[in-house]
Amino acid sequence: MASFSPPLSSTLPTSLNRVHFSRRNWLCFLQKRNQSLFLAKSIENGAGNVNSIATEEKRESSPVAVAEKKEEGAKKAESLGLNGTVSTSVKAEVPSFKDERWVGGTWDLKQFQKGGKTDWDAVIDAEVRRRKWLQDNPEASSNNEPVVFDTSIIPWWQWIKRFHLPEAELLNGRAAMIGFFMAYFVDSLTGAGLVDQMGNFFCKTLLFVAVVGVLFVRKNEDIENIKKLIEESTFYDKQWQATWQDENSSDKN
Amino acid sequence: MASLTSTTAAAVARPARRRSLAVRASATSVKLAGRPLRVAVVGGGPAGGAAAETLAKGGVETILIERKMDNCKPCGGAIPLCMVEEFSLPLDLIDRRVTKMKMISPSNVAVDIGRTLGPDEYIGMVRREVLDAYLRSRAEAAGAEVVNGLFLKFDAPQEPNGPYRIHYNHYDGAKGERGERRTIEVDAVVGADGANSRVAKEMGAGDYEYAIAFQERVRIPEEKMEYYRERAEMYVGDDVSPDFYGWVFPKCDHVAVGTGTVTHKADIKKFQAATRLRARDKIEGGKIIRVEAHPIPEHPRPKRVSDRVTLVGDAAGYVTKCSGEGIYFAAKSGRMCAEAIVEGSANGTRLIDESDLRKYLEKFDKMYWPTYKVLDVLQKVFYRSNAAREAFVEMCADEYVQKMTFDSYLYKRVVPGNPLDDIRLAVNTIGSLVRASALTREMKKITL
Repeated sequence: MASFSPPLSSTLPTSLNRVHFSRRNWLCFLQKRNQSLFLAKSIENGAGNVNSIATEEKRESSPVAVAEKKEEGAKKAESLGLNGTVSTSVKAEVPSFKDERWVGGTWDLKQFQKGGKTDWDAVIDAEVRRRKWLQDNPEASSNNEPVVFDTSIIPWWQWIKRFHLPEAELLNGRAAMIGFFMAYFVDSLTGAGLVDQMGNFFCKTLLFVAVVGVLFVRKNEDIENIKKLIEESTFYDKQWQATWQDENSSDKN
Repeated sequence: MASLTSTTAAAVARPARRRSLAVRASATSVKLAGRPLRVAVVGGGPAGGAAAETLAKGGVETILIERKMDNCKPCGGAIPLCMVEEFSLPLDLIDRRVTKMKMISPSNVAVDIGRTLGPDEYIGMVRREVLDAYLRSRAEAAGAEVVNGLFLKFDAPQEPNGPYRIHYNHYDGAKGERGERRTIEVDAVVGADGANSRVAKEMGAGDYEYAIAFQERVRIPEEKMEYYRERAEMYVGDDVSPDFYGWVFPKCDHVAVGTGTVTHKADIKKFQAATRLRARDKIEGGKIIRVEAHPIPEHPRPKRVSDRVTLVGDAAGYVTKCSGEGIYFAAKSGRMCAEAIVEGSANGTRLIDESDLRKYLEKFDKMYWPTYKVLDVLQKVFYRSNAAREAFVEMCADEYVQKMTFDSYLYKRVVPGNPLDDIRLAVNTIGSLVRASALTREMKKITL
């Protein structure tokens, strides 16, 4: 961790080199004779466009070694001074997001009319598609066409109808099933009917646990997630208190 | 938010009360015969400079050891207003005043924050070499001895009130690169030597998790620079960083484009490329003039004080989460540590001991713990996933949020607002988070 201003030419392949170090050793001698050809090809390819170079060569060499040699070629090209600029070399091989209803950085609600009213479901679908697209293909943010869409323009009842209600139905169903069978089970064990059970404190506690369980544990992973959350919420505090733990233990000495 | 801060303040207050009840006869209130207390401050950044100045002003014999006087630190360089006031910084130190910040979400929703700033309010952008040199010169003017040297190690005292023996390489222009090995004896050591602190290693302070911040300084054409004259940008998204953010900060005559991460350090180049892509239109045609990287501590070291050696600034790990702010806390902790030493030694006349240094820790923890905790919670909630980041940017459009954010950043205090506004804010936050995560769940279902 000594120096933090590495020269430009060496920055590019260092991480790649570290990862492929072990493979590189035994692949290296296989590829030596092809090296000069690779270098020539990659320099003419132009430095900086790292992603697509692995697909070019169809030699018997494995893709790993190809990428590696290309990296070396790219590195040499860089040190030749070809690449000191923030160029647009990351060319968009994928087209940017386009949708005729996406106008001026937001969804044009007039194009979502259905039966005289806005079809909010379609707006939600369109936004989901846009976000998915951008997640997979991030784009440059632009000042000429800033994105100003805000999800709060979609009315609250639409969100409830589409997302909350199905989930609520599911959870209520689970709670009802658990409730019915637990009531039957406890009745068969103790003879207390539903009304009597509700008067009992232990049964009320069980009911509370069942409701909380249904609400918070919706998938199998949730149990682990809750445990992690609890630990996470106090972790930072513990890190800050660490120097005081140390003091208390030295007091006892 | 108010209840969160009060419970955490109470949690910190508890150890303090326990300690004051225990009557401890301090073994050292040794009056120093004929000489003032000697303290070595290792490291001449904001923490070291502030510490050395306060120590020297308090009558303590101070030596400040800095290894590179013209060190151009790779750093965001943003300082809050309270630092300008509290440290009486001359305004010409500040290269730029940032009054507008743009937050850009993963789907490029762009929100401008800064509408609530008054005409005199800004985030100051400084060049670290200028700020550091200024603080060191103030320390020197106050009476500290500023030495160009590299701290190597120290020898612990032989007997309970004995001196620490510091070994360092003294660099004198005449002697050339190698430097001359020297030793001095001091009564206390303040480690202000940054994230890779050697003092911390010597005293066995333990390790911390750190983020790698990687940035490129880019000189862009004049007309593009005009856009960044008073504006900084923050890009959030999984492509830019899985647990931090990418930024474009304006400097004196160029911009710094960078990103950082804790968990995926090996992919930092990929994240940097993604940041450049997101800012592509605005920095096109720019020339990279410098590439730099540095570690940012994520939390304090397990042990911040050991006998008469203590840590301040980045060496101690006082960098906030969420924003990664460290300059102000470094300077403030340096000053607070020095104040505790001056007080504990009665202006340099008595020897100090560990309890005096713990007083500084206690004061610092108590004063800034709520700030750190709130920022930690914000990071955990809003930097979790793309959905959370979308919600975060959406929330930033709210004026109340902007006002609270800037108040807490610029002045390091939170003026409790109207409780109704707080409730409205909570409801809106939850609403944003719910909407964003609902959209994300739908995103998982479709394939483009």
